[in-house]
Order: sequence, then structure tokens, then C-alpha cells
Amino acid sequence: MNTLIYTSCLGLFCLLAEILNLRKLLVPLVVLGITVIFGVNYMEWNQGGSFYNDMLRIDHFSVAFSALVLLVGMLILVLTADYYKNEIHHISDYLAILIFTLCGALIMLSFSNMAMLFLGIEILSISLYIMAGSKRFETKSNEAGFKYFLMGAFASGFLLFGIALIYGVTNSFHLEKIGMYIMNHDATTISPLFYIGMMLMLVAMLFKVAAAPFHFWSPDVYEGSPALITAFMSTLVKIAAFGALYRLFATCFVGTLSYATQTLSIVSVASLAIGNFTALHQTNFKRLMAYSGISHAGYLLLAIIALYANTASALFYYSAGYAFATIGAFAVAIPVFHSMQNEGMDAFNGLGKKNPLLAALLTMSMLSLAGIPPFAGFLGKYYIFSKAIAAGHVALTLIAVIASMIGAYYYLKVVLAMYTKDSNDKTIEASPLYIMVAVFCVAMSLVLGLFPNMLMGLI
Amino acid sequence: MTQYLFYLLAALSVISALLVVFSKVPMYSVLWLVVCFFTIAGHYIILNAQFLAIVHIIVYAGAIMVLFLFVVMLLNLNKENEQHKNNWIRFAAVVSGGILFLTLIAAMRSTEVLAYNLPPKSEIGFVQNVGMKLFTDFVLPFEISSILFLSAMIGAVVLAKKDKN
Repeated sequence: MNTLIYTSCLGLFCLLAEILNLRKLLVPLVVLGITVIFGVNYMEWNQGGSFYNDMLRIDHFSVAFSALVLLVGMLILVLTADYYKNEIHHISDYLAILIFTLCGALIMLSFSNMAMLFLGIEILSISLYIMAGSKRFETKSNEAGFKYFLMGAFASGFLLFGIALIYGVTNSFHLEKIGMYIMNHDATTISPLFYIGMMLMLVAMLFKVAAAPFHFWSPDVYEGSPALITAFMSTLVKIAAFGALYRLFATCFVGTLSYATQTLSIVSVASLAIGNFTALHQTNFKRLMAYSGISHAGYLLLAIIALYANTASALFYYSAGYAFATIGAFAVAIPVFHSMQNEGMDAFNGLGKKNPLLAALLTMSMLSLAGIPPFAGFLGKYYIFSKAIAAGHVALTLIAVIASMIGAYYYLKVVLAMYTKDSNDKTIEASPLYIMVAVFCVAMSLVLGLFPNMLMGLI
Repeated sequence: MTQYLFYLLAALSVISALLVVFSKVPMYSVLWLVVCFFTIAGHYIILNAQFLAIVHIIVYAGAIMVLFLFVVMLLNLNKENEQHKNNWIRFAAVVSGGILFLTLIAAMRSTEVLAYNLPPKSEIGFVQNVGMKLFTDFVLPFEISSILFLSAMIGAVVLAKKDKN
């Protein structure tokens, strides 16, 4: 609870900093603030419970995921110092919006009431609509912001309709009471409206995680948004939305999971197929990452489908591995794009000769995303697949394994471009901040891959 | 008496909603939307939710509709030159929308109505009761929504502010 309050206050502080003329000092101050909040979050590990009439519930799951979200936020905020150095007059607005986005994510990870879920999703999304369109004079960015906004508003409509139908049936917004309703009825006496409400909520959540067939927005939005915001979106939104989805199913819809299993399986297979096959012939790096994100949503959905096998830690481990690999990749890609003035895959041509350190860091991030040992991406997939098999979804797991083999190909295409293709004369300069963040992310991927028990035993 | 009023309002809101979609001139769509919002506000009053009804009229029929009208006028959308989607997309949209509609109708039919008997003279919709709820049970969502509005306001400034250079 304190985590959320302090994060909101930090966002307000960013706005006040504009008046106090602290713009140049703001990024270090904010990063320091997030570090403190990380500590506050750590203190809440053993002080869980429900707050404010059971609106929020803090437990090990929410504290662990909040820590991950705060860490992701911190890494991105470190990079803002360099990314927005030419837009210093906007920095306090941007930072405030990014921190409010974190607030939304924190709410989505600890909600215990449908009203809080809706508010969390809206805070997260509305802040990101703005950030997606924040390069005002670029048509692509305008398109991204607008497309995300229109589609997202539509998805919110589905979410609200679903919540309303469930309220109509159960007379409650509290997850626990809705769960009680399911427990007290067997599958035949649960009102059909409840199932429709659940499905409509599922549509909205699957839209937020960009799972097929609700993925059409993601490549365009990822491509048009500023690269740093793409990195933020592809990690934070996915982690928060999957945390919320897991929480929703684990505490509320657990009794009706079997009803949704078939739908979720189809969505998962579709995401794996569409994500991996479409990624094969992408020429833009951000679009590639968007399709990669769609396929990762497919893997993560396995953790929801196999809920009975207690997949919380597997979900957490996989999210952490995915987040570090993605941020590591973007921390290399952003300075490369900047120097080459080009966001295509050919921007990486010859990077292996021009800047071996950056090339090595990107290679390791890509290997982690592809799921190759000893990186965290491999063990993440291993844990999720083994849980899915334990829950009896063998065919689904087989499809996911095949999909991950296809996936390895397009990640390696980036690596091949760096080491085998000829380059032009442009030099690549990366500020130490990017290298620092990339090294940290790759190191985390390695450490998590070698010592998985650090996270696996947590939840 | 209330029942007849309900059927009248329901019919009016369905008809006006259909007219919003089928009007060829955007200006008429906007005006029919105003009618639709007023009929929905009527439903709220039948349900004894005066506060919600008034807020609905002020916010939707007032502020948002004026915004719509301005956009329609400023962008000069009041012509029928909008390109139509191709027929396949229309067909797909009709089919998927129709399936959702059918499922909803079927679900409504097979649910027992008894479960929704609210207390007949509920006073929850009065201003003071809504206020009490907001500041006791729902105090956290109420306060948290300020972050949402703050974020949206900063966004409006960020997107609309003139650059100095």
C-alpha cells in the first residue's frame, strides 16, 4: 500500500520540480526516489493484508511483481536522462506520466476489487496513449497514439461491460465475493450472463497483452512510438496485464477456469503461430519486437491455462527474463537507431566490427529472448512448459516448443546481420548510460539463468 | 406506470441509437446521440439514481456532445465523402457483432429474473448516499481516480503545448 502512495507522490513531485526549476537534477532524483520505493516495497513482504475496505490486497505475489515493475521502471527512467536530453523543457511532464504509468501497473498487480482493476488499467493505458503520441511532429507517432487510444478505449468498453454483467449476477465487485458465488454454484447453475461477463473481461485483458486475435494494434503502435516508450510498453504493460490476469483467475475465476481453458488455448496457439510466423519477414526492428511480444504472450498464456499447477513463480520468472532481455535489446538498439538514423534491421549491419561491446550485449539479449541456455529465457520457457505438462496440456506444450524453435530463427537473423553483413562508415556512439543499462540487463539474464532459485522460490 | 415509461424510454433509446449509426450526415448522428443520452438519463431516474442522471446529462449530453459538434464542424465532416470499408470487412463485422448479440440475447433468456429483484425503494442513488459511499467504502478508488485525471490533464498539455523553439 505504501508503495502505491509513495509512487503517486513521486509523480506529483515531478510536476512540482518544474516550478522549482529542478529539471536538470530531476532524473537522478526520480531514480533515487524509485530506489527508495523499491526498498519500501521490500519492507511490505511480510506485512501483507487488505487495505481500504478490501480494495487492495498486498501479498507475496503482488510484492514480487511490484518489485519487478519498479525495477523495469527504474531502468527506463535511467535512460530518459539521455533519450530526452534535447527535450529538457518537457522532461518533468514525461517523467510524471511515466511514474503515473507505474502507479497504474502497481494497482493492477494488487487489486482486490473490480473498480480498482478498471482504474489501474485506465491509468496505465491513458498515460501510455499520451507517451505513444508524444513525438508530436511525426506522423507515425501520431498514428501510434491515436490508434492505441481508439482501440484501447474500445477494449475498455468490453471490460466495463464484462464487469457490469458480473456485478449483475453476483451483486459484488469484490474478487473474493465473486469467487464465493462460483464456489456456491455448480457449473450448471451459474448464470450464463456470468460466463459472458467473464469472456468480455477476457477480451479486454487479452487486448492489453496483445494476444492474437487482439494483436492488430501492437505492431503499428510499437513502430510509431518513440523507441524508449516501445521498450517501456512491451515490458511493463505485458507484466502488469499478465499479473492482473493471473490474479483475476487465481482469486476469482478459478472455479470457472475449465470453461475458459479452450478459449485460452486457442488464443495461445494463435498468438504463437501469428507472432512467430509474421516475425520471420519483418524488416523493422520495432515491428519484430512487437511480433516477438505477441508470441511471448502466447507462452505466458500457458501459465494461466495451467493455473492449477500453481504457476505463479513460473509466470514471475518468465516475466523477469522477458523484461530484462527486451530492455537489454532496446538499450542497444536505441543508440544504434540514433546514430544510423534508421530503425530497420539493416541498421545493425556490421555492428560486430564497429562496436563489439554493443553487438555482444544485443546478441546475448536476443539469445535470452530466443530461449537459449544459459540465459533466463531458456529456464523461463522450461518452467512454464513443465507446469503446462504437469497440468495435462501436452499437445499445447508441444506446439509451444515447435513455435519457440521457429522463433529462434528470427532472433538469430538480427545476430547474423551484426556479424556477417557489410556496414557503412557511420560510427555508432552510445552514451555510458545505455551501456550501463544493457550490461545490467544482460548480467541479470545470466544470473537468473544460472541461479533460478533466487526467484523461483519466492511466491 | 413505471413499466410503461420504461418500455417507452427503452424503445426511444434503441431507435435513437440505431439512427446514430445509420444517419448519413455526421451532424444528425451527433444530435441523435444527444437524444439517446437523454433517454438513458431517463432510465437512471426510473432507477432512483438522480445524481447519476444529472451527471450523465451534464457530462455527456453537455460537455462531450459540444466537443463532438465542434470537431464535426471544425473538421468539416458534414459531407458524405467518407470512403466506405470494403464489403468483406463489413460482412465480418456484421457476423461477429451478430454472434455477440445472439449470445447476449440467449443468455438473457435463460437467466432467471428473480435474482435481480433489487429493493424497490432503493435510495442509493441520492446525492448524499452516493457521497457517503464514495468517501467510506470507495475512498481509495475515488482518490486514485485523481491520478487518472492528472495524467490525462498533463497529457493534454504535453500534446497541445506550443514549443518555444
